[in-house]
Amino acid sequence: MSLRHNKNLKTMQDFLLIIRTEGDVWTSLSPEKLQEHIEKGTDYIGKLMKDGKLKSAAPLANSSRIVSESNGLIKDGPFNETKEVIAGYFHITARDIDEAVDIAKANPIFKDIPTKIEVHLMRAIGG
Amino acid sequence: MQDSLVEAMKQWTYKGVPENPSAWLFKVAKNKALNVINREKYKRQYSSDVVHYMRSEWTAEPAMNHLFSEKEILDDQLRMMFTCCHPSISKDSQVALTLKTLCGFSIPEIAKGFLTTEENIKKRLVRARQKIRENKIPFEVPGGKDLDARLEAVLETIYLLFNEGYSASHGNDVVRYQLCEEAIRLSEIIASHESLNDKFNVYAILSLMYLNASRFKARTDNKGRILTMAEQDRSLWDGLLMQRGFFYLEKTTTVENISVYQILAAISAHHCAAADFESTDWKGILSLYGSLVRIDHSPVVLLNRAIAVSKVFGVSQALDELEKIKDDPTMASYHLFYSTMAEFYTQTNQFQKARNCLQKAIDLSSLEAEKDLLTEKLRACINK
Repeated sequence: MSLRHNKNLKTMQDFLLIIRTEGDVWTSLSPEKLQEHIEKGTDYIGKLMKDGKLKSAAPLANSSRIVSESNGLIKDGPFNETKEVIAGYFHITARDIDEAVDIAKANPIFKDIPTKIEVHLMRAIGG
Repeated sequence: MQDSLVEAMKQWTYKGVPENPSAWLFKVAKNKALNVINREKYKRQYSSDVVHYMRSEWTAEPAMNHLFSEKEILDDQLRMMFTCCHPSISKDSQVALTLKTLCGFSIPEIAKGFLTTEENIKKRLVRARQKIRENKIPFEVPGGKDLDARLEAVLETIYLLFNEGYSASHGNDVVRYQLCEEAIRLSEIIASHESLNDKFNVYAILSLMYLNASRFKARTDNKGRILTMAEQDRSLWDGLLMQRGFFYLEKTTTVENISVYQILAAISAHHCAAADFESTDWKGILSLYGSLVRIDHSPVVLLNRAIAVSKVFGVSQALDELEKIKDDPTMASYHLFYSTMAEFYTQTNQFQKARNCLQKAIDLSSLEAEKDLLTEKLRACINK
């Protein structure tokens, strides 16, 4: 088994990729299209894994809530009122933000679903 | 820090709270980290990522695909082979461990294959695992200079495994044939591996095993009696296995190298290629034995060479050759030495001497089928 992280650990940085889509887009795909979409996604993630670039990735369930403070009161409520949802996240390693952006661009999700991917550099200790 | 807290809690319950808890916590945390680093160094390469990947819907399937891809499985088996055949483990235990972990044999099956008790096999396995722990044997294919020496050890174990199956010394035929098949399968895994550069000996051993295995089913008659090469029904020799054997032998000739396995394979190939015993290319075989003797000057090799000598230069010269090794302690207790001598004496009509040798061979042989064969020959000799 060789799911190893990239050997050049020193020069690698961690990035958080947040995948934003719209809530009901999945239901608009035909079963065949959905199957195809899943397969392409599996290949994409598998390649990141093999290259040692993927730390973790997961979809989010749609039960998100948001906790906020207002007038000294901390309250929680539904995550958002708009159609946009966070479909999931990728925690990856890349040499720099350009490589991280390239990785995000290669995500096959763009071919099937209106998507935005945020690419955030995670600040490391001493970074 | 979590870890050091746990450690601290453990310690504090036993020893009471230290005077300066925070300094102490820092020290414990540092030691823990060093421990982890040391452990990582020897850790088997099962990455902790895998557990993590399995928990997410997005990563579980790609991770499974990756782990169960043929290449990964083959890589794992190769790593496992090098771990099982680590030089710090005794040969007996290496073979038992290989059969258990790589071939999926049960302990009773292994015991049956080696004609020993299950208790004995269990002990060998325990000892092997102990060695792996004590010596922190890493789960990997060694690199660089180590590779050649370690590969040799792996091949040696595989050949031992094959011979356990092939030698007619004991055990159940079905199990023994499986041992041969497993030895071949493991070698095929090595041969198919991309990261090994020098596969000369892997091809040589594969050739040898295929060619010998091709004769497996012709070596006894339907009553279980052992047949000599001269007596075997050659139509029972397995052409497909033979073909594989020739294929690998050919591969060994592309490099300028020579090894015991290769020479033995070439000798076996001469036998396979012959239409019958008499038309065997004995000159070719004798010259191969010449090369073999230069690498391995053991009495067993000289004994086998004598048969080729008898075919090329006549029996009396072969007898002279055997005279030279008759006082060797291995030969003095080796039934095949005496049965070969007896064969030569019979061919030169020295029946009294032949009878003496056959009697010694019968006394030394441990296998019933072999004793029967020799007794039959002795009877034929008495009537002359």
